[in-house]
Amino acid sequence: MLMPPFILHHPKTVEEACQIAGQLIDEGEEFDWVAGGTDLLPNYKWHINPKPHVISLANIEGTDILSPTEIGCMARLVDLTSDNDIHPLVAQAASKVASSLIRRNATLGGNLCLDTRCFWYNQGEDWRRSIEWCHKADCGTGADCRVIPNQNTLCVATYQGDIAPSLMVLDAEVHLIGPNGLRTMPLAEFYQLDGMKKNVLEQGEFLLKVTLPEQASQRTGSYQKLRVRDTWDFPEAGVAASWIPGDMETLQLATTALESIPRRHPEEVTQMLSDGWEGMSSIKALASAMQKSVKPVNNTSLPPRYRKSMVRVLTKRAVEGMLE
Amino acid sequence: MTGGYRQQPGGAGPTTRKDGKRVAGKQAFPPPGSGGSDPVMKPRDLDFIPESVGGKEPQPAGSHIHDRARTGTTVGKEIPLVDSNAKVTGQAWYGDDVRLPNEIIGKILRSPHHYARIKSIDTTRVEALPGVIAVATGEDSPHRFGVLPVTKDEHAMAVEKVRHVGDLVACVAAIDEATAMAALNLFDIEWEILEPVFDPKKGLEDTDEPIHWRGKYHLARTNVQKRVFQEFGDRSLVETPHAESHGKWSMAGVHHGFTEPHAVVAHWDPNGRLQLYTPQQVPHYTHRALSTVLDVPMHQINVIRTFVGGGFGGKSDPFPHEMCAAMLSRKSGRPVRITFDREEVYWINRGRHPSHIEVKMSADEDARISGFDIDALIDGGGFASFGHVTSYYNGVLATAPYELGSFHYTGARVWTNKPASGAMRGHGAVNTRCAVEVGLDEMAETMQVDPIDLRLANLLPPHSRTITGFRITSNGMRQALEQVREGSNWDTKFRQLPLGKGIGIGCGFFISGSGLPIHWDPNRFPHATVHIQVDMDGGVTVHTGAADIGQGSTTAVAQVIAEVLALPIEMIHVRSHESDTSPVDLGSYSSRVTFMNANAAIRAALEIRDKILNAAWEILGYHPDNLVLNDRRIYYKHDPAIGVSYLKALHKAQEDKGSLIASGAYRSPPMGGVHKGAAAGLAPAYSFSSYVAEVDVDVETGIIRCTNVWAAHDCGKALNPLAVKGQIIGSCHMGLGQVLSEQMVYGRTGHLQNANLLDYKIPSVHEMPHVEPIIIESSDPEGPFGAKEAGEGPLLPILPAVVNAVYDAIGIRLRTLPLTPDVVFKGIERAIRKLKIDDPCDLPSPRLEHGPLQAKLVARATEHNVRDRARQRTEDTSPYVNGVLFGFDPNIPLEDQVEGWRTATEPDPEQLAALGLAGRAWLKKEQRQMGGEN
Repeated sequence: MLMPPFILHHPKTVEEACQIAGQLIDEGEEFDWVAGGTDLLPNYKWHINPKPHVISLANIEGTDILSPTEIGCMARLVDLTSDNDIHPLVAQAASKVASSLIRRNATLGGNLCLDTRCFWYNQGEDWRRSIEWCHKADCGTGADCRVIPNQNTLCVATYQGDIAPSLMVLDAEVHLIGPNGLRTMPLAEFYQLDGMKKNVLEQGEFLLKVTLPEQASQRTGSYQKLRVRDTWDFPEAGVAASWIPGDMETLQLATTALESIPRRHPEEVTQMLSDGWEGMSSIKALASAMQKSVKPVNNTSLPPRYRKSMVRVLTKRAVEGMLE
Repeated sequence: MTGGYRQQPGGAGPTTRKDGKRVAGKQAFPPPGSGGSDPVMKPRDLDFIPESVGGKEPQPAGSHIHDRARTGTTVGKEIPLVDSNAKVTGQAWYGDDVRLPNEIIGKILRSPHHYARIKSIDTTRVEALPGVIAVATGEDSPHRFGVLPVTKDEHAMAVEKVRHVGDLVACVAAIDEATAMAALNLFDIEWEILEPVFDPKKGLEDTDEPIHWRGKYHLARTNVQKRVFQEFGDRSLVETPHAESHGKWSMAGVHHGFTEPHAVVAHWDPNGRLQLYTPQQVPHYTHRALSTVLDVPMHQINVIRTFVGGGFGGKSDPFPHEMCAAMLSRKSGRPVRITFDREEVYWINRGRHPSHIEVKMSADEDARISGFDIDALIDGGGFASFGHVTSYYNGVLATAPYELGSFHYTGARVWTNKPASGAMRGHGAVNTRCAVEVGLDEMAETMQVDPIDLRLANLLPPHSRTITGFRITSNGMRQALEQVREGSNWDTKFRQLPLGKGIGIGCGFFISGSGLPIHWDPNRFPHATVHIQVDMDGGVTVHTGAADIGQGSTTAVAQVIAEVLALPIEMIHVRSHESDTSPVDLGSYSSRVTFMNANAAIRAALEIRDKILNAAWEILGYHPDNLVLNDRRIYYKHDPAIGVSYLKALHKAQEDKGSLIASGAYRSPPMGGVHKGAAAGLAPAYSFSSYVAEVDVDVETGIIRCTNVWAAHDCGKALNPLAVKGQIIGSCHMGLGQVLSEQMVYGRTGHLQNANLLDYKIPSVHEMPHVEPIIIESSDPEGPFGAKEAGEGPLLPILPAVVNAVYDAIGIRLRTLPLTPDVVFKGIERAIRKLKIDDPCDLPSPRLEHGPLQAKLVARATEHNVRDRARQRTEDTSPYVNGVLFGFDPNIPLEDQVEGWRTATEPDPEQLAALGLAGRAWLKKEQRQMGGEN
């Protein structure tokens, strides 16, 4: 495996980063942002959509900030798991990402912006040539989607980040910055339903930081991850739940690794609450509703039917703490 | 001889004057006992000298022919492998570490098609690319090669057809990797796409374009590469079974997952000789194949085995990329290096065959096993590799350790358009063993007996013959079973644990060396040869072709020589890397190295030892029988003060001839039956093992966690217990991968979907249970100091032990490997539907109420225990053949005692309709029988 050549830019400030990005856009050059590089660089080595320019965020001051309400994009996952200021739910999710070695490099920003994954796509170049490419990395051939053939309008690659659902159920907001300025939005609105577009980031924009509301610290919760091995593996399904103890009305749920985006599930929670809270049987009803609401496809290690079934179990285990 | 040994001409006076200066003409010899890191001679370590020769090492299995060669130096002691320092400091040189001046980089063009004919290859644009130095295609060598002489079906690069995605089409060498990769895109190839076959069941059917063509021996127009039929014993016994088990298994292919990807460097030296550096388990096969493919005599090729970063059978074939590197180097005149990506490693594969296995077994009213019926259809992928042998092993290696009333096996290996399967740790025995051991568990349940007692009451004793004629010598199966039962507290756990927790048993049986050297007649040439040379410095240089692939063969050879010569192990220097300097050796496969090479090494060392002892006799005046060889000193048995240093004795022995040189060889004794295929599975000794595994099953998710393993393995004699334990724990890890998570996934389009280490799920440290290695020493009469293999056999029992433990935990028999969470979950869903319950947490746990047969089995096992002990210690030397348990006389051929006793290697016509899946290959005729190509 040989890394394709690229020019690496090292801005020292946010402004400089935006300026480099703006300049490259003006020149018509393609580029990627890189933070920890644990997602981008393996893909580059496989020659998956490499770009001639890469802008590193590593040297930008202040982007590794860690506080109860603010986490910078360059905050390393290992610090998320060990810092006392971090919400326990976020720490729990971060501790389940990949392996300890990868968590030393990987960052929160990178995890939230993780490229979507698919076993027809995350392969070497020779391999992809043998299937005559796919919609997401078509090498100019206009190739069809290999997961669901005869539709080449939507990429169904799966978002397999661990931390997004936990942040979603804590009402986190993301702050995006680019040549056109700063914008802020709830994390739940950051993702866009297409495996190729993935999120709302415009060209030249990057995720600067995540903020949590003050009241997030009142919330408790759990993140449940399904995987074959207790290290390395991406989630095959993930459910995060949070609530303010004693107030079930505050329950929030989010899932990951089941579709092209992580998402919240307010309807299922509302339905359960409107049916009246009856302890375990309510949880079971909620779990079944959650199972019905997700639509995984066959592009990760475990079969989609099983992953869908597991949403029920994971939901149950995520919210079981409410009974205490 | 009196007066002792004169060190120098001119008398034995001091070599230094009073003022410390050297006396003129006198050389200062090293002080006696020099040569080791410790200048002081160590006292004899009686704890490591066997009882039979006056030491304190207990010998429950009796004395051994090599006992007299024991000096208490290294054998039986836990010592780190001799090459471990190089490895842990990063200084070991693996395939890709070889850097020769002026090297260029080779890359291989691989087929993007599953199955296609190459109509033309145009290399014009490749050759025109600046930086490209050499290009080669299939046209450069039409010669076929293959690991087995009977099935040579590979070319360096595709000659006519490509047979799987990733098959080699052409190769190119360029000044750097980027140029070589760019060049790969410039080949212009015209393809004719052919209809591929992926399902091995389809491989049994006739097709327009079989993947290979064997001429008059081709089976109709199918893709069957090899079919096997074996039927032995009294088939009438299975007609009215008292208890039965019947299971159909589907087992995914698995890969070795070694750390180091394949890498090779080829260089034609200035004299026109090929120097090839490659991490090979079997450098000699590569040597032969290179000679064939390149049309160069073998003596003009030097194969240099680099350090091997794990092999497990996956580096034992001669590989086409080795030929490619050599061809590119010959064309370019420069050293060429080719290193694989992980994806390429999966495409060259040679992993365990994906298998469909059906096992029927039955027992009579005395709980004797009246028959095993095994049918194994194995998916060979695009090439034969070791498949000819695998086809046999899937059946014949199930004929022990149990005594069988009859044995029936049908096997077939088919070619499919997938990467070739081959040999992998536990070659051919693993999948069937799993099916058989799970079948026994099920049969024990229907008979209401404990599965360990069922096994204990049906074991073949030491020094016996199996139903197909394998000669069993030492056999520690019984002790292995007893020790895991005790260690795991089996009797308080089995069928008594709560839902989700389970415990299971599995056994294993494996060859310790293959009885037949593939390439030559064992009556003419030995299996293994070792040369030893001792020079004046006292250091011992050993030349052997044994390929250390991390299993510790170099250490084993060094250890046995150190033991015989009573030298510190750092005085033994093993040279095993180059075919130029090492005697021909078959390399590391079939778990043969310790058994065969160490035996050869002992023989050579004994010769050296005799010479040194004879020299000491001359010096001391005592016959060698009265001399003790201890750490760098030889002394009179009854008065240790009378002695001579090793170095002095050595120099005395060297006076006439200079260096002491000796050569030792190992030959296997004549053995085995005469039927077709009798040599498959034949070995000079067999290892036995028994594991108990404990699991936690999450009944809601189907996730299995193996928590504890008690692993007993009979390795005859642990030459180095540290290495044996390492092998046991490593085998556990590898077997757990196959049973829980590893599989080569072929998707709906036939592509290998997980050719990388993220999606090919080798268990991590988190999945690793606590393993309690238990070493059983049955002292094999022919093994070096009693040793047998410990590298492959320990893998076998972990699979069935886990599958049986899962049944104990959730009461569901699963026959699909690996037991990934979705497979288990599906089984649980099916069970709760059948039992009409809502919640998997309400599943019933299996329980055992002992039936009347239990007491009978315990009594029989107790009786057999006495029998086995006497036979093991050769207090009872009467013949024992499989069948004695059923009342036959071992002194009369069984055919003469039972009407209808079968020894068939082809089915009777009336049997054809009833044969299993693989047996269907027997419905077809060979071309020569059909009047086809003659």
